[in-house]
Formats: sequence, structure tokens, C-alpha cells
Amino acid sequence: MIFEAKLIGFKEGIKICLVWLVLYSYLLSKERKELIKPFYAGLALSAAAAFLSLLLPAGLISKDDAGNIISMSFAAFLILSGAALYHASGVNLFFGKGDVRSGASAGILVISGSLLFFLPDFAGSVLYLQGLAILKDDLLMTWASACAGLLIAGIVFFSFMKFYKPYRLGSFFGLPQLFLFLSMAKLFGGGIKGISELSLIPSVQRGFMKFIHDFIHQTFVLLLVPDHPILKKTAWDFIGIFFGAGFASAVSLLLLLSLPALFIRHSLFYPLPEPQGDTNASRRRIWALMLSDRRKKALPVMVFMVFIVAAWFSYGGEAVSKIYKPQPRPLAADGGIVRIPVKDPAGDIMDGRLHKFSLFHEGEVIRIMAVRRSDDSVSVCLDACEICPPDGYGQRDDHLVCVYCGTPIAVDSVGEPGGCNPIPLSADVGERFITIEMSEILKKWSFVNSVKTSEGVK
Amino acid sequence: MPLITVNSIIKEYETAHALRGVSMEVKKGEWVNIMGASGSGKSTLLNIIGGLDSATSGDVIIDSVNIEKLSEDELAVFRREKIGIIFQQAHLIPYLTAVENVMIAQYFHSMADESEAKEALQRVGLGQRLSHRPSQLSGGEQQRICIARALINSPELLLADEPTGNLDRENTKMILELLKKLHSEDHFTIVLVTHDHFVSTHGDRILTMEDGHIIRDEPVNDLRS
Ligand SMILES: Nc1ncnc2c1ncn2[C@@H]1O[C@H](COP(=O)(O)OP(=O)(O)OP(=O)(O)O)[C@@H](O)[C@H]1O
Ligand SMILES: [Mg+2]
Repeated sequence: MIFEAKLIGFKEGIKICLVWLVLYSYLLSKERKELIKPFYAGLALSAAAAFLSLLLPAGLISKDDAGNIISMSFAAFLILSGAALYHASGVNLFFGKGDVRSGASAGILVISGSLLFFLPDFAGSVLYLQGLAILKDDLLMTWASACAGLLIAGIVFFSFMKFYKPYRLGSFFGLPQLFLFLSMAKLFGGGIKGISELSLIPSVQRGFMKFIHDFIHQTFVLLLVPDHPILKKTAWDFIGIFFGAGFASAVSLLLLLSLPALFIRHSLFYPLPEPQGDTNASRRRIWALMLSDRRKKALPVMVFMVFIVAAWFSYGGEAVSKIYKPQPRPLAADGGIVRIPVKDPAGDIMDGRLHKFSLFHEGEVIRIMAVRRSDDSVSVCLDACEICPPDGYGQRDDHLVCVYCGTPIAVDSVGEPGGCNPIPLSADVGERFITIEMSEILKKWSFVNSVKTSEGVK
Repeated sequence: MPLITVNSIIKEYETAHALRGVSMEVKKGEWVNIMGASGSGKSTLLNIIGGLDSATSGDVIIDSVNIEKLSEDELAVFRREKIGIIFQQAHLIPYLTAVENVMIAQYFHSMADESEAKEALQRVGLGQRLSHRPSQLSGGEQQRICIARALINSPELLLADEPTGNLDRENTKMILELLKKLHSEDHFTIVLVTHDHFVSTHGDRILTMEDGHIIRDEPVNDLRS
């Protein structure tokens, strides 16, 4: 048995079981039990589509793409939960049109929801398992292990349900809570790899960081010219705080908690409607029911908040810390040509890690870096972008990270020009050497924003 | 449609037959007094009607629900929603104030509402005694808290077992006048157990019990004449 494959199967199985349990309990409490059938249909379609995706030409969808799509479907469910909450607080988002209670439209919504939920995860897992099968050179064993994992999850769940049927769970979930639960299931079980990526938190955090960074960057780049007097050392020190990983991490945590906080506010403090009733006692009874319903529905949300904070500090902290920063190896130009050996005792460019080199030119140190992309091509760039001070890049997993602003850049996209990307160099990648014209390096280095570094204005 | 229908209730204890086949009906809004000698089965009947005790055989149907068939939980809900009870002893919580004693009943029904509880105490004439503890109040005043507490959740049926048993004539009169006023305003149904002929002249009807049977059923007016 291949442990990793078994784990993936187990994880997907548990996810299916939990989602089924919450959804079924929810439908029971809403007396819409019949809608579990479209859920099964959506589940089956997702599984079928995931396996069909194996027939697509290799490389059309990468594991990275799948990861991104999972993150996006997480965001979609998070947004849906916010919308449902908004709807529940009295604003009719359907503008009076479309009756979701009618069988057909509700069924279609459930099928598409299940597809949106399961397809990215299944596709990601299938993709990963296939990669694993190639790596282990044992197709049958990989899939058998995955199925075994799935089976174990099913058995664990069914034996639990045999003794204890917690369908009362349904009273803790309204539609907004249901969507929130689905997004949380994604957040904590959305990764496509095995145990090392049980949580989406690192990628969510990277996504938020990129968003914050881009937003602030664009604002400052648009509003301020680089030699503006405001860009003195102190000002940049201050602005630098906003680019820092710590800040981005805190803000993304706040963003992720803000929606649940809104739920809690709505549950506990939103004014209750004046109940209709002939006696004080009957009005009081209705009030009490409404209040207890609200409190019940705040409970899972509070649990999610605790989970988010806990997971954030266990996964998030890790995501920010482990950055690999190689020492630049010195190079020299020979006749206007710079030659980097592809493989020598000091390092192997093709090992997938970031490699840095330094050139001395007219009293200035120019840094170059090279990294292998997943399609085995090599990208050669300056260790700097056009925007940030040239503090250079580090590597975290399959991303490069700007040391100055923390922006993550997927290794596979390194070599694309512009913005926060490292400035690409046109280079000739041969069997034994990578050759670059010195004039190309000098031309590109002049774009580098050398006015300032994080240490201050030069 | 009567509010209460009691069908051949038998209640046997190991040592005694408390009820030996009791049948009766009480209309909605009626005030029925139950009289009889000590040990004749009055309290037993009242407790069975209130769901505090269960019969050995027979049916008790209240508001179309056969309460003998309800589970323990359903019965608790039924009592909470439909029935208010007052006893001879006040059974007030000694360390809580008058208002708090009423609020406790609201809390177990649904949720506490202090202003509503205060209003209820004002209705029974205790507006000046809101934050007194039971020990600081007279027997009559304590019984009035009990009435406010029993009626706070608008029950359809008020059961009273010797509500004036330990009160002097003045206080007895006051409690009965109060019950009369509340009954005429809120139209709930009263079943009241008493030894006292004076008490039984209030209300609509008197049932007399003897040795586990109802032996007489007569309107109050006839008795007076
Ligand atoms: N828990 C019990 N165990 C055994 N016998 C009981 C029990 N409760 C009541 N009895 C008996 O049942 C009969 C009726 O009692 P019940 O309390 O109904 O009388 P009552 O009419 O209310 O009398 P009183 O006027 O003295 O209150 C009595 O003979 C009594 O001894
Ligand atoms: Mg008695």
C-alpha cells in the first residue's frame, strides 16, 4: 500500500461523508429530504468528470491550476455564504424572481453546487494520484491504495452513524451556515497533496498577500513618482510595514474572520422582529424560539472561527517562515559574455531550486538567478523586479517570494515580464552552459529600481 | 367541546384505593370546586388532571389531548404551556424576590421578561412589594405571588389545591376576590380543591367526593339558595 495515496483517498472520503451528513441534516430540518438525490448526482458527475480529466492532454491542467481552482471554489462558497446571510437578513437577492423552493430549480442548484464543491478537489486529487503513480511506477497499487483510503473513511463513518445519528445537527445550520461550512471544509481539507497540505491556509494566505501587495503597490506606484520627497527613508520604512509578510498575514486572517464575525453579529445582535401572538406568554415563547435558533446557528460559526485562528497559527506561521535564500555564486564576464555552468560541483541548475549568481560591474553588484520550471525549461532573470527595492527573491515550495514585499510568484510563471515579476533576461540555455550577453544584463539592470532598498535611500 | 374530560379514572396505591372510577367534564372558562372529606381523593384527582401523577387506568383528555398517553417530555411541555398550579404551601424560592420568583416561571416557559413580571405582580396588588423576599411577606401576599406565577404564562387551566388553606378569613376573601377578577378578565378555567364551604360558594359548580367517588355535582347557585 502506498501511504500517501491511501491518505488522499481517506481525506476525500471523510470530506464526502461530512458534507453528506451536514447537508442531509440540513435538508431534514428544512423538510427537503428529496434534494439529497441531486447531491448524489452532483457527486457522481464530479467523480466521473475528474477521471475524464485524465484523458485531457497532459499539462493542460497542472496541479498548480487545480490548487488555484480549489482556492477559488473556497472563495466562491465563502462569498455565497455572505450572500445567503445578506439574503437571510431581509434583502431579497432574487429581486422577487425565481422560486428556489420549486423542485427543478432547487435540484439544479444542488447539482451545480455539488459540482462546484467536489469537482476541483477530485480533479486535483486524481491529478496528484496519477503523478504519484508515475513516480512510484505502480499504477495499480496507487489507485488501490487510494480506494482503500476511501473505503476506510466510509467504514469509519458508517459505523459511527450506526450507533449515533446526529441529524439534530440540522438545527444548527441555515443556508448561510451551510455555505460557510462548505467553505470551511474546503479550507481545512482542500489541499490536493497528502498530509503535508491538509489545509488551504498557505495558499489562501499567499492569495491574500498578493492581493494586498498589488493593491498597495499599484496605489503607491500610481500616486507617487519615485523621486518624490515623500519617499524618504522614514516614509519607506513606514510603507514597508504594509508590504511585510506579517502585515499581510494579519490582514488576511482578519479578512477571513470578518465574515464569520458578521454572522455572529447577525445572530446575536440583529433586532428580532416583533412576534405576533395574543398573549404575552405566546409572544415570549416565539421570542425564545427565535433567540435559541439564532444562538444555535451562531455556534458552528464560532467553532469555525476557533478553527481558523488555530489553523492560521499552525499553518500560516509555517507558510511565512520557511523561505530558502541561496547565497549568490560569483561570476565574471568573459568578452561581453556571461557563462553559467548548468551542472558543476557547486550546484545543479536543474535541481528545481533557486540559484543565484553575482556579477561585479563598476562598483555595483548585479545579481542574476536561474530556476528550472516544471516543464524542464530554465528561466533566467535578474534577482530584482521593476518596482521593489532590489532585495531579491527567496523560494518557498513552488513559489518565489519577493524578500521585500512578500509577493509570491509561481516558479512556472518566472520569466514573464512586468510588475512584480523578476526581470527576465534573454539567455541561451545549452546542454552544459547558459550564456547571456553582458550588454543584455546591463540594459535590464538599469530598469531596476535602485533608488531605494529596504535599508533606505541610496 | 369540554376543556377537561375525565373518563373512569382509577388510582390504586398498594395500601389504598384513592380513586375508584371517577368521570367528569369541565367546560372551557368554567370554575369548578371539588369538596369532600379528608382522604376522599380530591388532591389525587387534581394531580392526575394536572399531569403531576398518572392514573392506574382511565383517560384524562385536556384540550383534545389524552395526557395519559403523553411521554414524560411531552407532558412537561404540555404542563408548561397549558396549566398553572397553586398549592396551599406557597413553594416560593426563599432567596429570590417576588419579581424573580415570577421570572423563574417565565424562564422555564420561554424567557424571562422583568417588566411583564412586574406588571403581573401589580395586577395581584403587589406593586409595592416587588423586591421583597417571601420571608418578608404575609401568607396572603405569598399566595398572591403564587397566583401571579401560576398565571404568568397564560395557562388555559388553573389548578388550585387548598389555596386558602392556611389563611384567615380576611386574606381568604381577598384571594378569592382576586381570583374572581382575574377569571373574569382572562377567561381561564379553574379547578379548585377546598374543605371550606365559604370558598366553594365562588365559581360555577361544586363536585363532592367521598371515598374515591364523585357523589354529587351541583351548580353553586342552588347551594346558596
Ligand atoms: N402516595 C400515596 N401512597 C399511598 N396512599 C396515598 C398516597 N397519596 C394518597 N394516598 C391515599 O389516597 C387517598 C386519597 O388521598 P388524597 O390526598 O387525594 O385525599 P384528599 O381528599 O386530598 O385529602 P385532604 O383533604 O386531607 O387533602 C388517601 O386515603 C390517601 O391516604
Ligand atoms: Mg389534599
